[in-house]
Amino acid sequence: MDAKLAVRAALVLILLVSGCGSQPETGTPAPAPASTGTSPNATSSTGTASTGTSSSATSFNATSFNGTDVMYLQMGIAQIAEGSQVVALATERATDPRVRALAAELAAQWREELGTMQRWLTGWSRPLTAPTGSHEGHGELHMLRPSDIGELRAATGETFDRTAVSLLLGHLGNVVETARMESAGGAYPPVKSFAETVTIRRQAQIQRLLAVAAEP
Amino acid sequence: MRRRLTLPALTVGALVASLFVAVSPAAAHGYISSPPSRQANCASGAVSGCGDIVYEPQSVEAPKGSMQCNGGGSRFAVLNDNSKGWPAASAGQSVTFNWVLTARHSTSTWEYFIGNTLLASFNDGGAQPGATKSHTVSMRGFTGRQTVLARWNIADTAMAFYACVDLNIGGGGGTTPPTTPPTTPPTTTPPTTPPTTTPPATGTWRAGTAYVPGNVVTYNGASYTCRQAHTALTGWEPPNVPALWTRN
Repeated sequence: MDAKLAVRAALVLILLVSGCGSQPETGTPAPAPASTGTSPNATSSTGTASTGTSSSATSFNATSFNGTDVMYLQMGIAQIAEGSQVVALATERATDPRVRALAAELAAQWREELGTMQRWLTGWSRPLTAPTGSHEGHGELHMLRPSDIGELRAATGETFDRTAVSLLLGHLGNVVETARMESAGGAYPPVKSFAETVTIRRQAQIQRLLAVAAEP
Repeated sequence: MRRRLTLPALTVGALVASLFVAVSPAAAHGYISSPPSRQANCASGAVSGCGDIVYEPQSVEAPKGSMQCNGGGSRFAVLNDNSKGWPAASAGQSVTFNWVLTARHSTSTWEYFIGNTLLASFNDGGAQPGATKSHTVSMRGFTGRQTVLARWNIADTAMAFYACVDLNIGGGGGTTPPTTPPTTPPTTTPPTTPPTTTPPATGTWRAGTAYVPGNVVTYNGASYTCRQAHTALTGWEPPNVPALWTRN
């Protein structure tokens, strides 16, 4: 009897602890979902006992966010992970100071954006990665491949800069498309406004990269 | 708990999959960044009033075989407008075209035209492009202001990607603005917008202007000489960017 109780108490504790642990505690003053009316924290604090019934999940879903919001955040997180590989190399090795500065700026913005995106998904109890198979039909064509990163790593001097600029332009082009998809089809206003900000930021960076690329 | 979550998770997955088809933007894939294509000049802000192309210079996709800058589709007709004051990049008899790719399709060929003359064709035999793609193409004796039409023919679809690049061939650099009118456009679409003049490369510094070394501008009462070719952007005012401008 006592043993069973202890086991239950331990389970509840584990659930609570893991629940808290999955809320990233970064100090970014970003528009966190916790500050909104339909706070996802409400669901997790009403507890472990009632979570997971499909009816409550559906009604929560219908009143706040839709599948596009979730997909956008999942894709955005994956895109940041991919792009960060290029940015890390470019920050260190680009010879053009404008390219290095832009890479450093992207790294800082992505750190902040990543925290914000993860907090929304975590708050909604949605996975941070897309379900497997969701890229079917795209053939992973829009992703940076390990071979692309390998080519960049192997390049030196002017070739390195040109490769980095090309990869960043292509990647940021995809990021803008994803953000515009959210603007068109998303439902949760804070995520939509976040996507607008992302579009504006990436557009400005694309302009700077195009100016570098256009030089003879 | 895990079991109960399975069903909603699957439902969301299916919903996400179906939504993607519904709201996915135009599938976008590539354009020429250097020398800047017309869509690159729109996206970089060098040319204004381009419409939606500024968000997706990579999206000029249309069935294969067109000789128009927009591929003959209904979108992006602005690219066919030869009166729009597209800046022409100075070029020699041999030009290297660099592509930006947002999706790496298996490729049949890359083709380059001036008018109806095929300058070059590169057969990739269905291979996927690598991290970068560039081709060096001979201008075959063409000189002056010319519009090169590039076509990226996809191997496993009926589609191609189109990019027009305006060049001033044989100028050998320098500050000469293009003066000759564009040659016979490969398109029959009549221009609709009034021509915008290419901004002068001297005078007061202005964002969006293409400068080459030797250009002299004034900014806030001071005079500056351009050190390297670039298209000016807000934030790149002469006193802010010593790499681009020397104060006189």
